[in-house]
Amino acid sequence: MSFRKVVITGLGAISPLGNSVGELISGLEGQKSAVECIAEWENYKGMRSMVAAPVRLENEKLIPRHNRRSMGRLSIFATQAAQEAIKDALLSSEDLTSGKLGCIISSTMGSAESIAEAFEIMGPGKDLSLLPSTKFFQCISHSAAMNVAQYLGITGVVMAPCSACASALQSIGLGYDLIRLGRQDLTICGGAEGLHPSVVGSFDILYATSSNYNNTPKNTPRPFDVKRDGLVCGEGSGILVLEEYEHARKRGAKIYAEIIGYNTCGNGDHVSESNRDAIISCIRQSIASSGISAQDIDYINAHATATIQGDKEEAFAIREIFGGDTPVSSLKGYMGHTLGASGAIELIASLIMMQKSRIYPTLNLQEPDKDCQGINHVMKLMDKSINILLKNCFAFGGINATLICKKCLA
Amino acid sequence: MTQEDVIRMTNEVFADSFEIPKEKLVPEANIFNDLGLDSLDIVDLVVALQKKFGVVIRSDERVRTIRSLGDIYQFIATINKEMNK
Repeated sequence: MSFRKVVITGLGAISPLGNSVGELISGLEGQKSAVECIAEWENYKGMRSMVAAPVRLENEKLIPRHNRRSMGRLSIFATQAAQEAIKDALLSSEDLTSGKLGCIISSTMGSAESIAEAFEIMGPGKDLSLLPSTKFFQCISHSAAMNVAQYLGITGVVMAPCSACASALQSIGLGYDLIRLGRQDLTICGGAEGLHPSVVGSFDILYATSSNYNNTPKNTPRPFDVKRDGLVCGEGSGILVLEEYEHARKRGAKIYAEIIGYNTCGNGDHVSESNRDAIISCIRQSIASSGISAQDIDYINAHATATIQGDKEEAFAIREIFGGDTPVSSLKGYMGHTLGASGAIELIASLIMMQKSRIYPTLNLQEPDKDCQGINHVMKLMDKSINILLKNCFAFGGINATLICKKCLA
Repeated sequence: MTQEDVIRMTNEVFADSFEIPKEKLVPEANIFNDLGLDSLDIVDLVVALQKKFGVVIRSDERVRTIRSLGDIYQFIATINKEMNK
């Protein structure tokens, strides 16, 4: 059975570094940290981490009320990022409504802010009659996919493979599979996330968040660093347009890269602890599916969130497969961990790195921890041609995902 | 509560909850065709009117007969009178 070739033809991003792909890249170029102190979280008993990377929500009223009313914060981000990606790909309204275009966008959960509001509304008096009609649509797990599809009039496949921090990469992987199997010609894929203290708290109670830099927020998170102390939550959305190669070629689309490999797997071991063997298996299977060898990969965009355990396991897996030559960087130091959006936002940044032949370093990595050594950490801007890149994402539930992209010389 | 209060407070609900420009808020405006409300909005309209006027209308069959903004002014006035009896 032969599979169809899948390329990436559009990018859109709402991130803590800014509300476009251009602003995202400008922030990375400038080595800018979007992490800041969130003083009001001191009102939450037991919260240790007072840092986060928020998005500057703007222009949301440009989305008509009839569409916006069912959108929580993350769906607004996803809609805005999707608009940018569609414009970038020069898709027509006929493309969107053809039935040949799917919408695969997911998040850790529906809008945490909306879920909290729903309980605040009905909690005190246990009165369901006070709930707005559209609150449920903001809270459901496929809220981003549903809202973007409704807003754009998409009639193809609409799905949301929600898997916490692997959500975006699994969405892109699913969109890739739908096209290469011939089910769709185009997919709008990615992830979204909304910052909320309940989300941060879920990591905080596990001691997985950074809490030593509450007064110096720009110095955290510190992926792979000896002084790392946990992740910092961010938010936003990354959306990519995936397209069957001949479809893209016929319409003269700009092509960022070809997706040549993808794999996702569970570790069957622990809900919150990363597992080096499962990561190794995931990366190896993605490489095998792409028909290349590990040595062909020019850059690895790591998941590395700056947790003690996760970074160590990922570094081990990379060292085991790639040795110490392949450049590796994590973008969490710039914009925190954007959770369900991270796989897409960071893949977009990596594709621009490929375009510019330039690798953005791991911000705040000053001294690699001994557990994270033996791999080629990029610690300052590196100019290097990238023909093939690999992106990792790992999630609660023991879920791993790896995607491989190759420069497309159409 | 005067009829002017009912009109002003009802119009505030339409402006705040449904982002409808004040110039469109005239008694003869059809809430579906002219103001663009749909079935979901009606649920929210009931919730907003209950909150604004301190009334309970969720299960009141007369809600189903409302078509215009003027119908709402009249309905709220009637409900207020019934509550004050």
